[in-house]
Amino acid sequence: MFGKGLLKGMKITMVRFFKPKETVQYPEVRLPLPDRFLGKPEFYYDKCIACNQCVAACPNNVITLKTETVEKKKIVTQYYFDQQYCLFCGLCAEACPKDALKFTKDFELTQYKRQDIKLKFVNPEQVAKKKAEVLQAALEKQAAQEKQAAQEKQASADKQIASEKQAAGNEAAAGVC
Amino acid sequence: MAVRQEEFVLNMGPQHPSTHGVFRIVLTLDGETVVKADPVPGYLHRGIEKLAEARTYTQVIPYTDRLDYLASMLMNWGYVQAVEKLMGIEVPLRAEYIRVIVGELARIASHLVATGAMASDLGGLTGFLYTFRDREEILDLFEMVCGSRLTASYMRIGGVAKDLPEGFVPKAKEFLKKFTLSLAEYNGLITGNEIFQRRTKNVGILSAEKAVDMSLSGPVLRASGVGHDLRKVRPYSIYPQFEFEVPLRTNGDCFDRYYLRVLEMAESVKIIEQALASLPEGPVMAKIPRIIKPPAGEVYTEIESSKGIMGVYIVSDGSPKPYRVHFRRPSFINLGYLAEMVRGWKVADVVAILGSLDIVLGEVDC
Ligand code: SF4
Ligand code: SF4
Repeated sequence: MFGKGLLKGMKITMVRFFKPKETVQYPEVRLPLPDRFLGKPEFYYDKCIACNQCVAACPNNVITLKTETVEKKKIVTQYYFDQQYCLFCGLCAEACPKDALKFTKDFELTQYKRQDIKLKFVNPEQVAKKKAEVLQAALEKQAAQEKQAAQEKQASADKQIASEKQAAGNEAAAGVC
Repeated sequence: MAVRQEEFVLNMGPQHPSTHGVFRIVLTLDGETVVKADPVPGYLHRGIEKLAEARTYTQVIPYTDRLDYLASMLMNWGYVQAVEKLMGIEVPLRAEYIRVIVGELARIASHLVATGAMASDLGGLTGFLYTFRDREEILDLFEMVCGSRLTASYMRIGGVAKDLPEGFVPKAKEFLKKFTLSLAEYNGLITGNEIFQRRTKNVGILSAEKAVDMSLSGPVLRASGVGHDLRKVRPYSIYPQFEFEVPLRTNGDCFDRYYLRVLEMAESVKIIEQALASLPEGPVMAKIPRIIKPPAGEVYTEIESSKGIMGVYIVSDGSPKPYRVHFRRPSFINLGYLAEMVRGWKVADVVAILGSLDIVLGEVDC
């Protein structure tokens, strides 16, 4: 009979009609996101060792890293993440040896102003703090080195005195003979 | 008074929803009948092959996602397999299983779009909503695995990026169980619908000889009665270990091309079930050098993607970047016969024929 298939289809839709809804009311209700979700990136300044591996891993030149060398140590002074070019492939986070770059579950990335799209992860205070830390560490290290050098000098001087004394003693002993 | 009659030129697309993207066909019509059709692809051309030359081998992977974005896992697979062959890398068994699982899920997802879109092209939006409901679940699974729904970038040269997360296997099994019921639903809603059948049966018939001549592949070819599926005729990866059929239809009309995809989804379910049941433990990444630098030479490999034979040709000059990459995109080649196929049919049939070919413009334009 023509129309049987149509009726069958309608039956399916009628049964479906009385079942719970599949969709959710988005802004109010949100579906859970898995842990691996690649949303807005996050940067942990203190973990980063300025190795540039994330920059090298990115296929689309999204990341720009500015560094400064303080006391032979590389310090990140700025970390730009230009989201508009990002493919959200996760290769950068995968390349990072220190887990300093992570992707969060924030997927609402629209911005009102274009300049807000480009993320700047590092603020000057962080850099200043880090610089101070590095300088402090360098100073301490230097002090420690000096101390050690002084100790060594002292030790070697002591040794010399001791050996001189011994030599003098030997001489004296020879003189006695 | 004599009625002035002349041919009429109609632009279908590039912003026409039933061209499945930005595809344009210039139709020359006599009344409602198509006299001539000129497909104009290229609106989504991004030059991925050229871009690949300026990227390292690993960095090309995210770009392959953007070929057939409805089955990005399969596109990843086609590419990494080529590089692996070039470098002689042995992929760990667990990684192969995972690839089969996500690859077949991607095939189902892609066929769901084709099935639903075909229904909606012919005026039955309900079918579209049903298939997309189930596709969502596959995308949820992908999101669990790799963090992205559409552009997966999951496979790596030598394996896959990460092991399957906890809870993936039960969730996938649950989905497969539900999905078998959903297939019956599609058959009730779309396949059995008389209007749908009248619109598609004996429309746009493609003969087996012509399909082979034009090197068409995938469901389009198999609907014409040629049983050519690379997973069977030239098996790659671990496909010989699984038991599955290659569905065949013989009429080569729009209905067969549509229905073949429904049948194929059922076969993919079988493959995934077997793979999930026998998933071995072990590493998911082979030992590969830190900088991927294949020896100079060239390689060509193929996989059976959801649209047909996806081939990847790579020329290496021994540097960390490919010298040349070429993708044989099945959608593009399947489109080659479109102009012939739509000639003589009515405008409304053009939509049905194009829908049954299941093109995706990311792949056509590359
Ligand atoms: S996710 Fe991919 S594209 Fe985006 S910054 Fe990381 S490596 Fe670059
Ligand atoms: S790879 Fe990680 S540690 Fe290295 S520069 Fe990038 S964020 Fe910092």
